[in-house]
Amino acid sequence: MSAPNGKAHWSLYLYCLFLLAPLYWLVSMAVKSNRDILGGLELVPGDPTLANFVEVATNPAWYGAFVNSLTYVCLNAALSITVALPTAYAFSRYRFLGDKQLFFWLLTNRMAPPAVFLLPFFQLYSAVGLFDTPLAVALAHCLFTVPLAVWILEGFVSAVPKELDEMAAIDGHSFPFFFFRILIPVIRGGIGVTLFFCFMFSWVELLIARTLTASEAKPIVVAMTRTVSASGLDWGVLAAAGVLTILPGLAVVWFVRRHLAKGFAMGRV
Amino acid sequence: MAAIRASSLHHRYQPGAPPVLEGVDLELRDGEAHAVLGGSGAGKTTLLHLLAGLLRPSAGTIEFDGRDLTAASPAERQVAQVFQFPVLYPALDVAGNLGFPLVNRGWNAAAVRRRVGEVAELLSIAALLTRKPKQLSLFERQLTAIGRALVRPDVALVLLDEPLTAVEPAAKWRLRQALKTVQGELGLTMIYVTHDQTEALTFAERITLLHHGKALQTGSPEALYEQPAHEAVARFIGSPGMNLVDGEVSAGSIRCNGQVLGATAAADGRCALGFRPEWAAVGERGVPVAVRSVRALGTLGGVATGLVTAELGGQAIHVQQRLDGPVGSQARLHIDPSRILLYRNGWLVTDATG
Amino acid sequence: MRANQKAWLAVAPVVLVVAFTAVAPLMTVVNYSVQDIFDVHTRLFVGLDWYRETLRDPRFLEALVRQLGFSALVLALEIPLGIWIARCMPLQGRMTVAFLIILAVPLLIPWNVVGVTWQIFARPDIGLLGAAVTALGVSYNYTSSAFDAWATLVLMDVWHWTSLVALLCFAGLAAIPPAYYQAAALDGASRWQVFRHVELPHLKSVLTIAVLLRLMDSLMIYTEPFVLTGGGPGASTTFLSQYLTSMAVGQFDLGPAAAFSVLYFLLILLLCWLFHASVMKRGDAAA
Repeated sequence: MSAPNGKAHWSLYLYCLFLLAPLYWLVSMAVKSNRDILGGLELVPGDPTLANFVEVATNPAWYGAFVNSLTYVCLNAALSITVALPTAYAFSRYRFLGDKQLFFWLLTNRMAPPAVFLLPFFQLYSAVGLFDTPLAVALAHCLFTVPLAVWILEGFVSAVPKELDEMAAIDGHSFPFFFFRILIPVIRGGIGVTLFFCFMFSWVELLIARTLTASEAKPIVVAMTRTVSASGLDWGVLAAAGVLTILPGLAVVWFVRRHLAKGFAMGRV
Repeated sequence: MAAIRASSLHHRYQPGAPPVLEGVDLELRDGEAHAVLGGSGAGKTTLLHLLAGLLRPSAGTIEFDGRDLTAASPAERQVAQVFQFPVLYPALDVAGNLGFPLVNRGWNAAAVRRRVGEVAELLSIAALLTRKPKQLSLFERQLTAIGRALVRPDVALVLLDEPLTAVEPAAKWRLRQALKTVQGELGLTMIYVTHDQTEALTFAERITLLHHGKALQTGSPEALYEQPAHEAVARFIGSPGMNLVDGEVSAGSIRCNGQVLGATAAADGRCALGFRPEWAAVGERGVPVAVRSVRALGTLGGVATGLVTAELGGQAIHVQQRLDGPVGSQARLHIDPSRILLYRNGWLVTDATG
Repeated sequence: MRANQKAWLAVAPVVLVVAFTAVAPLMTVVNYSVQDIFDVHTRLFVGLDWYRETLRDPRFLEALVRQLGFSALVLALEIPLGIWIARCMPLQGRMTVAFLIILAVPLLIPWNVVGVTWQIFARPDIGLLGAAVTALGVSYNYTSSAFDAWATLVLMDVWHWTSLVALLCFAGLAAIPPAYYQAAALDGASRWQVFRHVELPHLKSVLTIAVLLRLMDSLMIYTEPFVLTGGGPGASTTFLSQYLTSMAVGQFDLGPAAAFSVLYFLLILLLCWLFHASVMKRGDAAA
């Protein structure tokens, strides 16, 4: 066990090895041809090739799916933040009829299994003509990203002293000016962390994304499962696509690395 | 209890980092109540951590009763500490918190209960023994934390790190009273670290003034007030602090602004002249000064006293005196010639050192 | 806090979005669960029949038992491991950021890619893990042995989600003032006592969140076993979501699937509420 401020314990390095080993294997598969993969086990790829990545990057079925995924993830994040920010502010600063119940009810939506929503989602989004569009997936993912965004942002807004609101009012600033030019810059770390969580839950989800898309808006995660069922054999291309789906996550975590620990501490019960 | 001697303690947090302590010497008699006074960044907390064994000094030694414990762990030193805010174990009740250090040292349950009862009685918290920290006021929590520091009968040294900071003003006095009583009754060796001179002056038998990592002076509260060894001590102690004005010594007389203020045996040359606000008076005799403001402080023995702010050769000075009559804007300043202190390069000039 | 009913205006967008994404679909599900639907125009009110049928369905009950077993197992592994990992972290410095990033990586990988990664990693013919275990002389094949499938799934879930617990606990540990550790050192506390009396009480609220999140998410698990084992061999790794999906999408049994859905949601709500209530009750008793 570590002392405070102490050095990392050796078991932490061991655990990181455990985390990275499957990923290393995925990457090593991605730079091998299918013949080499099935030919025999090798710890370090003997004949590395980028052919699998070229295949993913040039085949419209692959990169189109990639673009679809990024589209709905960004839409979802923008939508979640936009609706969650005023709500988080209201929960943090005001008391109103049914506020506690509303807050709790929002969180219970996080407890609904996506599988429960498959059927009604399919019918609902077909009925309003959104089926097979990125917007449908973005909206459906709001099911769990919006409650989460409200929850996290509420913590960050509450950490801002109320005196800031009062000072802005005394200085004669309008509420919109205060909200957009003063409050939002102050909690931008919190907004970054919220984006991280929205991304984390929207980018990784398969079940709803699969149900609400057919061909036009097919996301990358679905493209991968269909490749498995169709040929089931081209491990190299599958691994390459898998590696590429990890990259946006890495970019996001790099972006919010300074706020990561604080963001996790913000949740309240 | 133990006598403590720390010799030329140096500390820096990383090699190459600026030093936090530069050669601090500290000596405590067995059973002494000692205060370490200093502003923020003076190195007070670092000094405490070194004494407690939470840090190892970069250089220097620490002895308890003549035993060199520089490298000893906190547990080996038998040191206890009270922190700025009440540090209690949240899951344990007051009795559990008080008994914690005893249980860790292998005491049996009956002995722990007896000792916890004694300490709780001493601090008048016996009624709170079954409460959890959450159910206590800030004052009661800090009292419990103090109790935990006192619970070991063999404790060699109790460190108090600004223990009144978190407590509401009305309770500060009660807590300080409780501390002083316990210190006296048990004959504890205590170090009380604070930036508040009132706390230090009322608590301690002797005070060490720490300034930018150096111990400038150790002495009784009176010594620090009457004979500050360094300009920084002179300014820090007292409210307002000591007046320090530019002056010089020539042919045995102390001069300021061309006027002779007194006589000295010190060698000729420029120096700073120090005097407490109550060692001077503004009136009809002395050197001419320009009075800037007069502020009434209250009455003392039926006579109004006040603080006069004036300018002497362009330097602001404060004088505390009886307000017998009106003070005009052009007046004269008289300083008790026997009490003028001379400082060269920051340090007090005594006649012997010339 | 100011009382202000106008705050509802600020909350309105969220209520609208949630009404569209959650309330309307849930009402539809409840509606289906009490009807027998032949086609769009022919419906029959059947009351609680579908619920009765679901509760008597042996495959539902088996999936339920598997589900509860799986959730209990992964929680029992991930919570202590996550606390341990958080305790091993250095509190500050460049290495801390590096560790935080490595820990966060599994959380950001699409769930089916997690499945694919482990599918490749654990295969006896092309996978490092599978080959290593086989080389040790252990007969291992997650596609044919139920035990191996379970072991692989649990290991994968630990790989995937322990980071969440660890990151939450690390945030909790980083918020403990150093004075608590110093006091414990002066009081002669052992490492175990530091953990028991200083760290654990301060981790209570983040641990509550961690257990709640892991409880609800592990009860909803679908994608990873779907990709890795497809619910097999046999039905040995078919959990509730997988069974429900096969009912709703594969067989179009609207009524039973809807009744199943309602029961499933209520089960998660109930378990989360039970846990939360027990934590709060113990907190009050301690307070």
